Amino acid sequence: MKSPALALTPRAVNRVRFAAILGVLGPGLVSGFADNDAGGISTYSVAGVRFGYDLLWVLLASQIVLFFTQEVGARLGLATGQGLAGLVRERYGVRWAAFMIGAMLIANTGSIVAEFAGCGAALQLFGVPTWISALLAATVVVLLLTRGSYGKVQYLFVAVGLGVSLAYFISAVLARPDWGLAANSLVIPRLASSPLYWLTVVATVGTTITPWGQAFIQSYVADKRLGPEDLVGERLDVLLGAFLTNLIGAFIVIACAAAVYSAGKQIDTSSPDAVQQIALALKPLAGDGAYILFAVGLLAASFLGLGVVPLTSAYAACEAFGWETGVDWRLREAPAFYGLMIFFIAFAALFILIVPARMLIQVMFTAQVVNCLLLPFVLVFVMRLSADKELMGPLVSGRFLLAVGWLGTGLLIALSLTLVLTSFAGT
Amino acid sequence: MLYLSQAIGRPVRDEAGEPIGAVADLIVAIGDRYPPVTGIVVKTNGREIFLQWSSVASLDSSGATLGTTAIDISKFHQRPNEIRLKRDLMDRQIVDIDGRKVVRVNDLRLDEVEGALHLVAVDVGASGLLRRLGLEGPWRTIARGLHREIPERYIDWEDVDPVERTIASVKLRVPHKGLAELHPADLATIIDQLSRSDRVGVISSLDDEVAADAIGEMEPETQADILEDLEPARAADILEEMDPDEAADLVADLSDESREEILGLMEKDEAEEVQELMTYAEDTAGGIMTTEYVAVPANLTAAETIDRLRELEPTAETIYYVYVTDDANRLVGVLSLRDLIVAKPDTCISTFMYDEPVVVRTDASQEDVTEVVARYNLLAVPVVDAEGRLEGIVTVDDAIDTLLPQPSWRRLPRIFGRPGAPER
Repeated sequence: MKSPALALTPRAVNRVRFAAILGVLGPGLVSGFADNDAGGISTYSVAGVRFGYDLLWVLLASQIVLFFTQEVGARLGLATGQGLAGLVRERYGVRWAAFMIGAMLIANTGSIVAEFAGCGAALQLFGVPTWISALLAATVVVLLLTRGSYGKVQYLFVAVGLGVSLAYFISAVLARPDWGLAANSLVIPRLASSPLYWLTVVATVGTTITPWGQAFIQSYVADKRLGPEDLVGERLDVLLGAFLTNLIGAFIVIACAAAVYSAGKQIDTSSPDAVQQIALALKPLAGDGAYILFAVGLLAASFLGLGVVPLTSAYAACEAFGWETGVDWRLREAPAFYGLMIFFIAFAALFILIVPARMLIQVMFTAQVVNCLLLPFVLVFVMRLSADKELMGPLVSGRFLLAVGWLGTGLLIALSLTLVLTSFAGT
Repeated sequence: MLYLSQAIGRPVRDEAGEPIGAVADLIVAIGDRYPPVTGIVVKTNGREIFLQWSSVASLDSSGATLGTTAIDISKFHQRPNEIRLKRDLMDRQIVDIDGRKVVRVNDLRLDEVEGALHLVAVDVGASGLLRRLGLEGPWRTIARGLHREIPERYIDWEDVDPVERTIASVKLRVPHKGLAELHPADLATIIDQLSRSDRVGVISSLDDEVAADAIGEMEPETQADILEDLEPARAADILEEMDPDEAADLVADLSDESREEILGLMEKDEAEEVQELMTYAEDTAGGIMTTEYVAVPANLTAAETIDRLRELEPTAETIYYVYVTDDANRLVGVLSLRDLIVAKPDTCISTFMYDEPVVVRTDASQEDVTEVVARYNLLAVPVVDAEGRLEGIVTVDDAIDTLLPQPSWRRLPRIFGRPGAPER
């Protein structure tokens, strides 16, 4: 008998048709959009406010790295039909899986807090108090995730993601930036030696390439029951996702560079309401349109993250600990899954309501540090798993992908360590 | 009683009590109700050696003691039905046949049965997980303080089915005996939870009829996915076992190449039936009818007709009605099984058949069919073309499908959904 992995339609390898490719468009795209959550948008804004167009090259570089890391994750999902957490448990044991899930849950809780903060900041620009926006966002997301049909929800996610892209594209245009300088900065790095510069570089990369993003794409691909014959379509999808993610990031940087940095305005980027100040700064130069679009974009992005991050966290935990099954995925029948998801959202919403804004920044920063510490482990797992011939079959990483992958992993580990060391030195 | 996690990593000593290595794994022979331990893998000086179970004097949570000082490693051969517990089962996914779920193995429980150590149960509960994380002790202390029990959950090995991928490394052919005995709907539920390669593995091991029944219970897009993943010849065999109307719906969902290839591999008349059924729109009488019915010429006697039924019965979907047709296959009458049995054996059926049968046209809507079936209390209604030729029948179970509400959450299969999947 053939081994099961090979029994998957050998004839389907040449079955690449347009429809097949369209059919798999999704995981990379959704993952890319979800990468630009509240944390992403504030990071990009701050990068533009502090350094103008100078950091645009980082976006191009992280887009390339993001493509390769997401591609490996997607390929693992295609070859094994399993999510990352389950695979780590099978190959490296329950302790590593528990460590990974534990760290990811802590970091993700921080991210969810950040999403609530993003929702709050965006709605505050329209005069809605934080406690109302937190309760509203929590209720809507919980209802959507427990009552909605995921088939529809995923289209909603993509629609919201496209909305965000469009909002920031228009804000960038309205801010009348120096497009020539922007294009130039995208390909020619303008390096500086200040610690703040490098800290911003790390934050920008760290908000794009995340442990949960890695878990997300693999689970998504596996859950869609995509297989080895979908490789080409999936690569296109991941490429498109990585490209759009950083394109949006670039528009945000450009908008902030033109409206704030070039205009010579000063904004305290470490203040809890930095994002609001940035949005307000857009107003006089780019007009009400840009201001409103910026706020709407932030709201949509935070909302997207608020949906995706708890979903991924709960899914990964259930997968690692074997609670993934439920005949009907109804609230009653999958208590662990829904319980975890609702817990994260409720905990984070409560946190936002109780903890003062100054401490909030600290919490989000800690979450980012945990993410940075976890990322090297996740990437090493992913790279090693993808090189395992027995596991991957024909989809095993070749010499080129391995070389590029390990190079990217090495760079990210170095950046992560930089951030962690600086943050400890700073405090 | 011993948990595998309590034995792994413990020292292995020889007869004289000298440590020679650590327990790396245990080997069992599957096939029996409770697989007996047949060997032990010892890690010594960075390499693994295999020892036969007969050379082990004792094994418990303090480690293993060998009954011999002379280690003979040449004698061990891993036989094809043997698996390594830690490598092949620990942390893997298995099917809980009773609970009809896919679960993950937290620990494995071994017990002395008739003087030999056997694998008896799979620990899938929280206590097993805590034990593996080294937290069972402290947790128990806390739980006792709170007067709470740690939930323990075991599945008897008999009610477990290791999925294919789990032990693919040993090229073991899992018979999936327990799965084959499940109700098709339950089997479908389980298969729905498996990854693609495991689905193919499980389906491949079932016989055609069981596989056809299980696939018949699945969502349309899952059916098509599975059929495309199977070997085309095997897919053709399974389709032949399905009711033609079901098979036609399924074949219509396949990609063009797969459809042609699989139809080409089916028995000629079965393939033709399926192709013919595919020409009708899905929500018409033609789309839901089956071509498996019993039709006889009008000149037979009651006894001859019953004989004919005996010959045809195995394949027809229903035999409660016998349709009477002329040379051109036009429907001229219908008989119920009851009519046949109460009639004198030598009476010609044309004398007592009901010669104005209720019919629907092939292009009648599904709702119309339902209405006819309900109004006349039929178990099946014949479907005829414009010239009155009998094309098929719609049985009551297919007719009433339209009456069922379409529950949107009946089987929400997975977290992220699937593009192009119809919302139900």
